[in-house]
Amino acid sequence: MSDTDPVRLVLANLIAESGSYKTPESILREFRATRGSRKSDNELVSLLRSISRKRPNCQEVLDEIKQTLERMDPMFALLLFTERHSDEDSVLRQYPSSSRVGTHRQHSVDRHSSTRTSADIPLPHSRSNNSLTSQLQDRPIMLSTNKSQDFPTSTPLSQRKPDNYLTSPTMSAISTAIDQAAVQGELRVIKERVLSAVSSSSLTSQRSLSNANVEASPKETTLKPIIVINSKSMGSVFTCFPDECRTHGLWDFYKVEGGKPAPDLIGIPIETQQRELITELIYCLMGVRGDFIVPLESDPKADGIGKYETHFSVDKNVDKSLAELALEILPLASHYIGIQRIVSATQEHGQVCSALNSALEELTRDYYVLLAQIEQEHLKDHLTMQKMLYYLRPTILVMEEIWASLTEMHIENYTGAAVLTHLCACIKRLEGDKPSQEALISLTKKASVPYMRVLQRWIQKGIIVDRHQEFLVEDNEGIRCDELPELADYWEKRYSVRRDRIPSFLEKYSDKILRTGKYLNVIRQCGKRVMPTQEMNLQFDPTNEQHVFVINDAYYFAARMLLDVLLTENDLMGHLQSVKRYLLLNQGDFIMQFMDACEDELAKNVDLVLPMTLENLLGLTLRLSSARNDPYKDDLHCELLTYDLVTQMSKIMNKKEEYWQDKVRLDLSGLECFAFRYDVKWPVSLVLNHIAISKYQMIFRQLFYCKHVERQLCKIWKENAITKKFSPHAAELYRSAFTLRQRMMNAIQNLEYYMMIEIIEPNWHIFIEKMKKVENVDNVLSLHQDFLDLCLKNCMLTESSHLNRAIFKLCKICLGFCEFIQRSQRFFLDAELKSMVCDSNDENTDNSDSEDCSNRQQCESSLDQADTFGERVKRFDLEFTGLLISFLKQINDLAKDNTTDRFLNLVHRINFNSFYSDQIEKLCVKKAMG
Amino acid sequence: MPSEIITLQLGQCGNQIGFEFWKRLCQEHGISPSGVLEDFATDTNDRKDVFFYQADDDHYIPRAVLLDLEPRVINTIMGSAYSKLYNPENVYLSKHGGGAGNNWASGYSQGDKLQEEIFDILDREADGSDSLEGFVLCHSIAGGTGSGMGSFIMERLADRYPKKLIQTYSVFPNQDEISDVVVQPYNSMLTLRRLTTAADSVVVLDNTALNRIAADRLHIPNPTFTQINTLVSTIMSVSTTTLRYPSYMNNNLIGLTAPLIPTPQLHFLMTGYTPLTGDPDINSHQHTVNVRKTTVLDVMRRLLQPKNMMVSTGLDKTNHHCYISILNIIQGEVDPTQVHKSLQRIRERKLAQFIPWGPTSIQVALSRSSPYIQSNSRVSGLMLANHTSICSLFERALNQYDKLRKRGAFLDQFRREDIFKDDLSELDESRDVVDCLVQEYEAATRMDYLQFTAKRHTKTYGAGDNKSEESKSTENLPV
Repeated sequence: MSDTDPVRLVLANLIAESGSYKTPESILREFRATRGSRKSDNELVSLLRSISRKRPNCQEVLDEIKQTLERMDPMFALLLFTERHSDEDSVLRQYPSSSRVGTHRQHSVDRHSSTRTSADIPLPHSRSNNSLTSQLQDRPIMLSTNKSQDFPTSTPLSQRKPDNYLTSPTMSAISTAIDQAAVQGELRVIKERVLSAVSSSSLTSQRSLSNANVEASPKETTLKPIIVINSKSMGSVFTCFPDECRTHGLWDFYKVEGGKPAPDLIGIPIETQQRELITELIYCLMGVRGDFIVPLESDPKADGIGKYETHFSVDKNVDKSLAELALEILPLASHYIGIQRIVSATQEHGQVCSALNSALEELTRDYYVLLAQIEQEHLKDHLTMQKMLYYLRPTILVMEEIWASLTEMHIENYTGAAVLTHLCACIKRLEGDKPSQEALISLTKKASVPYMRVLQRWIQKGIIVDRHQEFLVEDNEGIRCDELPELADYWEKRYSVRRDRIPSFLEKYSDKILRTGKYLNVIRQCGKRVMPTQEMNLQFDPTNEQHVFVINDAYYFAARMLLDVLLTENDLMGHLQSVKRYLLLNQGDFIMQFMDACEDELAKNVDLVLPMTLENLLGLTLRLSSARNDPYKDDLHCELLTYDLVTQMSKIMNKKEEYWQDKVRLDLSGLECFAFRYDVKWPVSLVLNHIAISKYQMIFRQLFYCKHVERQLCKIWKENAITKKFSPHAAELYRSAFTLRQRMMNAIQNLEYYMMIEIIEPNWHIFIEKMKKVENVDNVLSLHQDFLDLCLKNCMLTESSHLNRAIFKLCKICLGFCEFIQRSQRFFLDAELKSMVCDSNDENTDNSDSEDCSNRQQCESSLDQADTFGERVKRFDLEFTGLLISFLKQINDLAKDNTTDRFLNLVHRINFNSFYSDQIEKLCVKKAMG
Repeated sequence: MPSEIITLQLGQCGNQIGFEFWKRLCQEHGISPSGVLEDFATDTNDRKDVFFYQADDDHYIPRAVLLDLEPRVINTIMGSAYSKLYNPENVYLSKHGGGAGNNWASGYSQGDKLQEEIFDILDREADGSDSLEGFVLCHSIAGGTGSGMGSFIMERLADRYPKKLIQTYSVFPNQDEISDVVVQPYNSMLTLRRLTTAADSVVVLDNTALNRIAADRLHIPNPTFTQINTLVSTIMSVSTTTLRYPSYMNNNLIGLTAPLIPTPQLHFLMTGYTPLTGDPDINSHQHTVNVRKTTVLDVMRRLLQPKNMMVSTGLDKTNHHCYISILNIIQGEVDPTQVHKSLQRIRERKLAQFIPWGPTSIQVALSRSSPYIQSNSRVSGLMLANHTSICSLFERALNQYDKLRKRGAFLDQFRREDIFKDDLSELDESRDVVDCLVQEYEAATRMDYLQFTAKRHTKTYGAGDNKSEESKSTENLPV
């Protein structure tokens, strides 16, 4: 700092030129005077004119000064004035008086004091424009403060570095001449642009991004655009980036036009070279273009990682050893600028990217601090290239890894969860490289913050606030909670996981996360408040599994709570028991009583059945039977469906059964269409939804029909008991009818036993056992569904081979037989067998039920009017046995293919004493013979 | 309140087992001896109303009618803690109190004389129920009142309530001891006839077997009536458990019995029970000795063993007898998934022999048991079986009858009554009916049961008639 003030220097030159009597001091005094004692603007201008008359651009400059004076401090105008004339001074090479004037600015590190040095070679540099302008900035530079977090992200680039450059001792040796001509014409334009840039939104948004930049003043930010605009207007653009990316304030090695050719380094001592090179390196590390170190034009065609890499060439005149060392350091610059480019390119890529960028900016700040420290060393002349490399080595490695990770991320265009996944993968990859790993870990931690915040809100409150659509759970709105929440698929469809938005570290827990929030939502829909019991602090740390514990805790909390709501507060099991009692006929006495009550009504054609009557009878039965103690008995209602079970099932199974559908079955009895309905409220309807209830109904209808047949068979059993009093051989005549009835009873009852005792009850038992250990509602749902599906399947309802149709036909035959016996009953006492004649009309209706019976031939045989009782029984016998045998055989065949089903148990039951074995075998042989 | 059942207790024996039965039902349903529901009886899913009805003050009254011609047993009952349980109007004691003198004919005649009063009670009870399902008779076949009056009432009930079921718990006399009732064979024969023709199902309680079980299995050297009756009451209560604790199946009397009885005559059921526990004090320490997990299969297998049967059928030398049907009522902690496996095992090992002329199987009803009675056993089971070997009991009765009848012994006291005034054809007809029954049971073991016709030894109807019907029937038989 041995040189005089440049202002005085310029002024002294001008005074000398003009031969004015004034001294620089006197002029300064005039301009520095306080408002009261100061001369008017015009006087000041004329004062300046007096000394600058000789200059060719005198009038231009003075006009400008005039304008400046109107708005600004006179001192500013003076500075501007001296600046305008300084370049001409440099040509004059005047050695000003050595009078030293202290800096008039408190904190300035003599930022512009060395503009004019004793150096003989002027080094024009566009940055010097800035240096002068920045000089006006009244901002403390805290170089001495280590690790200051207040450092603005981008200001040092434009502000401090040029200062350092100028103040550096090396540079003082190579004094710089300011290329005034290049600047002058542009200044006005620049100013206007500055003003417009200040108010532009891009700036403000940029500022808000670097939120740590608390101290940033509007003035500061104005600097950035200046640089940009300068470069734009003056320099050929060196970059493959669009200009808009540069609003981030990157120097990005812009080449500034109009600079003097690079100074010759030949012959300069190696120490000086080193100093010069270090200075340039420091600039370079911040992305400022140097003279000896020049970035190579990047290959515009380069794709992938190459796009974000910069290569440098070091001036060939630089000492080889120094150049080598510089080349070792330079990748850092490349990586630094690569990172900055990516940061600016990913501005609008969602919350995760924003968080990552802000973390990267913090990192950059640390990087700047490091550079500042290095520079400090350098200024103290303590630095050599080796030392610098030594200092920077760790940073080089870390920066490279970060750069590599980010580049990969950017190339793949990851956003949101994918970024986090990628970072985690990188951390894993860096195992062994502790510093880099730690840097990435801290980046990942910070980057994951917004994601984890969304996650926490979801698992704590069940709310999704996810503007950028980054969260793994998606709310498929449309199904409003108050509209039909009991929709069967509500539970499935309301929320879903988006596989592509799961960070890898949550992959395993995505299901849990989904359910946690879902449960909370259901709880809320139950009208309960979701009150998290404890403070939740969900953070992601790649080094530990803390987040897993938090997620698990939240999950168990929600699952337990909803399960409590369902099982304890809404007594789900009680409801299920109640459904089982009525729809699965577990409460046999109630069913019997109900059948007694509704027998006449249900025997009618379905169109004639009055639903109200049924409902009333049901209510009465419920109140009179043992069901009266059931708290949920009022949920039970009657329903008349439009088709019988077989049609319903074949519709469900989606089989094309033309003959069955073509047949208009209007002659359905109430019994065939009847089913119970069970209405429940939310949230029990979550489990007992429409689908579940209709499954129950299917089982119910089959059981109910069988029960009805059994009752009819029991009825004729009682009526037949009268034959006890008959003579032995009269009894013998009825024996064929009785044994047929018993065979029917055996088949039907075993079918019932099979369905109830071997299917429903064991499955229920298993279901209950599993329910005791159940942990969440999804579990409950799937267990319940499994239970129902198993029951349906094993009750032969969902079997594709239409076993249920065979059951239905068997039942029909039994009913036909019961009807026949009852009609014959009145003749029993007479024991006049010949009178057992049935009119042929009845005959036809009976046969129509079993049209496709395999023993059709027998049925078609003469339907003689004079059919005796015995012959009728025999025909029923043949029909029934034929059907039963083919039914049993069908099950046997199925069992051969599929050993898991329990159908065979039914065969074992019906054929317990191998009574049918011969007949089944005969049928098999017959089939085998063709 | 459907499927009500009215219980008739006839005679000394009938009233004794009836008393034990009601005692047991009260315990199971948590009803105090005075008919008031105990505080602990909170289980509301049982069906007390099948056997009880509630008075205005809500206390429970059994649908029971107590009849006897001599006061001893009824007086004991009315002197017990349970005296207030019964409806006093339902207790009928013959005014002269002389009993029937172990004479069937006397009981029968007195029944005839007293029928108006008796049916007043029965009709009132029947009217008091919403949908009466049937009557259950408790009596012995050997004495006078239970057999004679029981026979009369059975016949009348069958006429009067043709749509109602009549089930009896009939105690057969002990063959191992010489009875002091010399006319016991006559009484048995005459009662058996009514049981065959008038009752819908008869649960045979064979005193011979009961006493043997008490002695051999429960280690009671000289079992008292009470001890035997505890056994009986267990059987009676368990056999009605599916009515009182309804579940999927067998929830009414007809659903319980109809599957067991394929043809009307073959309606004599035998019972088996396991584990056999008489006095809980004796058995409690026995059980601690052989603690082992009882499975459904264990229970079902034991039920098929003759030693657990409550009927002494004698040795089946030809080994041709077989089960017509079986119903197992299993109570306790049963895993329902085990049922099928057990059935399969029994089927595979052919542990039971079944009739060849029709399909049949072991039905298993899993039933709840009373929550108020602590059971020593984890699982218990009752078997109700229709087995052809029951006819050995009737054969034995026939033999004893024939011996006595050949000698024409002790017939005087019968001739004194109206029914035998003219001749003793009633006795011979009864013998015929029982003989046909035995033949039918024998025939039921054979394949050709469907073509079987019982042959009557003594012709009571015209021979010509018989022949013509026979020829007709052969035409109509299924081939």
